[in-house]
Amino acid sequence: MTEGNDLINLIIDGIEIAVEPGTHVIDAAERAGVLIPRYCYHPGIPSRPAQCRVCLVEIEGQPKLQPSCKMTVTEGMVVHTASEEAEDARRAVIELLLVNHPLDCPICDAAGQCMLQDYALETEQLRSRLHEEKLVQGRDRIADDILYFADRCIICTRCVRFMSEVAGDETLIVAQRGDRNVIDTFPGRDLDHPFQGNIVDVCPVGALVHEDFLFKARFWDMDQTASICPGCSTGCNVTIDVKENQIVRVKPRHNPEVNSYWMCDHGRKHLVMSNRGERADVPLIRPDGRLVAADWSEALAWVADRLLEVTGGDAVVSPDSANESLFFLRELLDRLGIGGGSFRVPTGEEATLAGFPKLALRAERAPNTTGAELFGFARVDDPAPSPAGAGLIVLEDPLADHEPEWGGEAAFFLYVGGRLSSAARNAHAVLPVTGFAEMEGSFTNFEGRVQRFHQALRPPGLARPAWMVLSRLIAELDLRRGAETRTETPLEVGQAFAAMAVATPELGGFEWDSIGPKGARLVAAGDAVSADVA
Amino acid sequence: MSRRLHPAVAGAQPFQLAERDPDAPLFGSEEGRERLEAILSRYPTRRAALLPLLGYAQELHGWISTGDMEEIAEVLELTPAYVWSVASFYTMYNKHPAGRHMIQVCTNISCHLNGAPRVLEEFLEQTGTVEGETTEDGRFTVLEAECLGACGFATAVQINDAYHENVTPEKVAEILASLDGPESS
Repeated sequence: MTEGNDLINLIIDGIEIAVEPGTHVIDAAERAGVLIPRYCYHPGIPSRPAQCRVCLVEIEGQPKLQPSCKMTVTEGMVVHTASEEAEDARRAVIELLLVNHPLDCPICDAAGQCMLQDYALETEQLRSRLHEEKLVQGRDRIADDILYFADRCIICTRCVRFMSEVAGDETLIVAQRGDRNVIDTFPGRDLDHPFQGNIVDVCPVGALVHEDFLFKARFWDMDQTASICPGCSTGCNVTIDVKENQIVRVKPRHNPEVNSYWMCDHGRKHLVMSNRGERADVPLIRPDGRLVAADWSEALAWVADRLLEVTGGDAVVSPDSANESLFFLRELLDRLGIGGGSFRVPTGEEATLAGFPKLALRAERAPNTTGAELFGFARVDDPAPSPAGAGLIVLEDPLADHEPEWGGEAAFFLYVGGRLSSAARNAHAVLPVTGFAEMEGSFTNFEGRVQRFHQALRPPGLARPAWMVLSRLIAELDLRRGAETRTETPLEVGQAFAAMAVATPELGGFEWDSIGPKGARLVAAGDAVSADVA
Repeated sequence: MSRRLHPAVAGAQPFQLAERDPDAPLFGSEEGRERLEAILSRYPTRRAALLPLLGYAQELHGWISTGDMEEIAEVLELTPAYVWSVASFYTMYNKHPAGRHMIQVCTNISCHLNGAPRVLEEFLEQTGTVEGETTEDGRFTVLEAECLGACGFATAVQINDAYHENVTPEKVAEILASLDGPESS
């Protein structure tokens, strides 16, 4: 136990703990390993109305139970969260919340991750004492894609306070009175805010649901993977929910340095759509005028032979690519004597979250523009095809909006990507690579924060991460140029990251495993390493 | 019969002056602007003037439309949603058009013991409507009300802002006759 001069000592359920002055009892308890039930309290929403009364605890010397979300700690405080009195009060709160609750858990989207289910179970009430008919209020559309089930609502007002205090938009309110209380908007005016989807995440029960997720999956049927949103250059930390190898839902993951508890609606939709559509799933080569399928070793050998014949050329990359992929492409280009290379960035309107202004849907709608620039690629509006007769290598830019003839003039056109647009079909070889959700890797966000993402989906067919494909291609090339031993190639992302970090001064101090859940900031080249590694 | 202002409410609403006109602008007229300024002058913040302004809208229009709420939100620098949240909290603000004479019969304990159910029945019968509905000519809405705070004068009936006390079924016809006809306002 810490005996700091400035710390306050208290005892919670027999556990001694010292915390900063001003800490609330509910947070101190959490640090002591005691999770006090809560509905209205949310750590990302400033106000603490202490209105749900489910966090009441007994504090020695206080005549009545106190809401632990509102009480700050005092020296020598002794708290009992599970005394008979506290548990009785909690049981009463839950019983009252269930008076008009429809108990439609079998068809509720929140089933399995519902704080009403959890706490009701804990109170161990065998049967309802209610004989009256339940009040039925029905459901309402709160926004374009958000439905409100009034009967499930416990009026914790997290959603109302998120909108007014965090989004800075007082458009969601509590209407009516008493047991007719409902969450509502002004008649005829739905919510219209770029961050409104967060009200679904803060809802502790199933009252607010995204319509496009409605009835789609049970919580326990989904796999959760920690990832980074690729919707813009902010790089919000997210959890991807996957069912049967499809992304069905995306939720923000807490990172106080990047996105707090929030993310924007653009990011959610972008991510859910990102891995849909036709994919290239087998290497394709053009030995005699037609693209034909090949296995990896055949394709890599054939491509390496062709690349030996290439003199000069150009490269087009994508700011959606991982740092590791961009790094190995730069290595390949260096060996081929091709300098430069460029990328395009889709843009859109910027939208800042008023209550956490560090978080914005940024104008740059790609996750890794900083990474692309770090590895020497230049931002352009529209990459011109390489001069006729030279080499052309494209990494992951889908080329979807290019002329169907684009790239056809190149002496050798290598397409390393996952989508076969008309322009991509002009390639002499297609090496299929995984999308970001199908691999591990890292992005560098707008402020130079390197953040890892993890594999959420099985890749299609023979697709492999671009860093793996490109590093193998480099080894093939080196062999043909008389290397004594086979160039070492990374087998997993940690090794790829290590090779990248060694060669990149800005990443000098990082290792894959040392980049914690908050990410790590790039260091200026030459500076001592001082990553704020968590 | 002229409008009667019960002392209990007159004190709380000293600006209760507007003649009912469902089509009159809230703040577009000279009177409306004066009324707004007078109400604002009583409070330290604009937000605090919300309840009296909602009262003014109802006094003028007989009910509070979404348009009224939007206008009030604008002058008080609030969001319409906030105004809706407050207006919907209070049952005495009419969010739907009511009859020109809103008749609220108290049926709480004192009035009930003194025959309120029969008074309510008599009002419904003589106006030819059902509880909570408005007559076709738009004259009357009859409601059952919770305690009107006039237990010493049971049965109490509130018609718009005026109180009628010691009402018996026999007095209902006289009271209804004293209210204006369908063509006047």
